Amino acid sequence: MNKFSDIAPEFSFEKEKIIAKSLSQRFQWEMVLIGLGQAFVWLTLWPLVLYGYISLLMGFLIATICACFAYLPSHESQHGNYSRGNPKLRWLDALVGHTTLITLIYPYEILRVTHMKHHAYTNDPQKDPDYNNAHAKSLFHVIKIAADGSSTDFQKYLEVFDNDKAFINSFNKGVPVALLLRAALMVLVVLFPLETLLLWWVPAKIGTVYTTVFFAYYPHLGTSTGRYKDTRFWSHWMPRYLNHSMQLHFIHHLHPSIGHFDEPKAIEALKPFLVARGVPGADQIPDRITYNPLIKI
Amino acid sequence: MNTLFENILNTILDWNKFWFGLLFLGSVFNAIAKKSVYLGSIENISFWAFLLGGLIGLIAKFRGAWL
Repeated sequence: MNKFSDIAPEFSFEKEKIIAKSLSQRFQWEMVLIGLGQAFVWLTLWPLVLYGYISLLMGFLIATICACFAYLPSHESQHGNYSRGNPKLRWLDALVGHTTLITLIYPYEILRVTHMKHHAYTNDPQKDPDYNNAHAKSLFHVIKIAADGSSTDFQKYLEVFDNDKAFINSFNKGVPVALLLRAALMVLVVLFPLETLLLWWVPAKIGTVYTTVFFAYYPHLGTSTGRYKDTRFWSHWMPRYLNHSMQLHFIHHLHPSIGHFDEPKAIEALKPFLVARGVPGADQIPDRITYNPLIKI
Repeated sequence: MNTLFENILNTILDWNKFWFGLLFLGSVFNAIAKKSVYLGSIENISFWAFLLGGLIGLIAKFRGAWL
């Protein structure tokens, strides 16, 4: 049943696509709110801490939460899930994408183009920019490479994709933003050393580790290549509300235009298709995903 | 002029771990030292703080990784 040629007509790709498309229409207002909201809260922490309204420790804790919320709104932008093909709304993709990533000290354009390559070449050791994260030796190893920045050393993909002009142009558009963010960090650390450390740099590191572990490592752990094989359904002791529901990341790889908060509904509707296609872990998907924390002790 | 600018920028970027250690870690170590009664009393503590930051950056540059 897992070979595509053996797939029953009721589970055809065309039918799967129709269901997925019906769940890819809604405006992702929650993500706009989270992305711009966390950036606003994070920015507000600076005067609050510098003028002594809240302690640096409290600021650090709030900044860390902001950093953990920072990536996903940009991820929706990277897929154009706010504009949904409407050229008049593309500014919203860019606005949310750029703004929310300030907390994580990452340039939006570089993350966008490398993420597109991750989707195109998932689990390809040469071409998947997330390969090192997904195939790290252990949880400790992925934490280490995410913390020291080596897992997001995207420079080498300029050589891998040097024939792809669109990739190179978008990547180069992100370089000045990367330099600007780095320069801002350096200026701020000279002026406000401990505040910059605990309101920006350490939270950004924690946010990066969190994002890498739950977005890149767990969903692709032990998977291979191929549309229905490169991402898996998984669960562990942590309720999915604490890890951005990345247990459901496989549905995003199959249909990236489905908004994050509509993924549970999509999986419920598409479960028979996923089982028929042999998506790793699909047989363990519960019938009800909505409001299910997906805990596995 | 552009090439000269690019060369300078590339040289700075090649040594980015060193600059980060010197400036970022040095500033943080200096600030921590100044908050400490013991460390704050050491003569030229700022010099030692920035030197330590720069050294860590230099080691990271030659190791190719921070951790």
